Amino acid sequence: MKTLCLLFVAITSVSVAQNIPRTAEGKPNFSGTYEWPKAMGGEQCRCSATIFDRKLFAPLKPGGEPFLEPHNGDPRHDEPRDFCMPAGFPSGMLSANAMQFFQTKDYLIMVHEFQRMTRVIPLDGRKHREDIEPSFYGDPVGHWDGDTLVIETTNFKRWGLDDYFYTDPNQYRMHSDALKTIERISWKNRNQLSYILTIDDPKIFTKAWAQEFSITSKPEWDAAGLYEYVCEENNRCPGGKCQGK
Amino acid sequence: MQKRVVLPLLLTALTTIPPLQAHHSFAAEFDDKKPVKMTGVVTKVEWQNPHIWFYVDVKGDDGKVTNWGFSGGAPGQLMRRGIAKKVIQEGMTITVEGFRSKDGSNNANGARVTFPDGRSVFTAGAEDRAPGDGKGK
Repeated sequence: MKTLCLLFVAITSVSVAQNIPRTAEGKPNFSGTYEWPKAMGGEQCRCSATIFDRKLFAPLKPGGEPFLEPHNGDPRHDEPRDFCMPAGFPSGMLSANAMQFFQTKDYLIMVHEFQRMTRVIPLDGRKHREDIEPSFYGDPVGHWDGDTLVIETTNFKRWGLDDYFYTDPNQYRMHSDALKTIERISWKNRNQLSYILTIDDPKIFTKAWAQEFSITSKPEWDAAGLYEYVCEENNRCPGGKCQGK
Repeated sequence: MQKRVVLPLLLTALTTIPPLQAHHSFAAEFDDKKPVKMTGVVTKVEWQNPHIWFYVDVKGDDGKVTNWGFSGGAPGQLMRRGIAKKVIQEGMTITVEGFRSKDGSNNANGARVTFPDGRSVFTAGAEDRAPGDGKGK
């Protein structure tokens, strides 16, 4: 029975490998339009964004407790996006909007409709940039591990990890400036990507931990494409103070 | 015949699709202890980011007309749900349900819009919610 199962897994893997779209260089081709990453069970947000499942978290380090930082009543702290501040990564990636990926030999460009988040990920073997300021989206570099694209991102500002505060307004999950993320992207089948996101934040957790998400291809969204998102255009009630009509 | 089939399908889609993520926290802008329900005439529609706004002249019991602003979801999210700008047009009479803004001004989230023929559209984002629908906290 075990042999049969292994044979089935092997045949399935070969079948997926043969049927996925590939670039001229023979690498898996992720160019296309997608839904946002969705959790495969576990904790769900009281909103449509995807959030991390706390059951998968590694234990907190002593001193890592401010990760669950209470709201303090200051809207600039409690929900900076209300002032059109960026969601950052990984939070923005998990927002419930369409995404479009463009892939060349040397780059993967991820464009997310929410805040028009754009990540330019070099695939040419370069190292992380040095001597630049920490940022909301970090500094990503990618490399191939067989048919899996591995993206390592470092140099983040301390910022919101996900949208958990919609579920519990009293808690605001923050990552630290020591965060390193590792994304592993591969075709699961012809319509879905496996997206495994590792959170390695040694100021908060005792060890790295990961969650797998599923990203569904949406070729039917290609025709409309992504819609514009300029937050500053008509943000009428920042921080709950509505401005003139 | 086609209209008879398409309209119920469209209305089902508009009222059953799960709420979508908006850019702000509901709690940051609106007071869930102050539900509002108003009927009036649409005076303006701003189909803009980060949230659509539509404005409605509402006549009070004293006959005085007040212009209210209602905030909905992001245009891109609404369009991908099949809700286009033309759904709410100037001159339409609509009933809007939502929650008043925290600052006490004549603004609210416009979560549910009902037309005179009974059709209903959920126009809000994720953490926005309509009175009585039990979403969020």
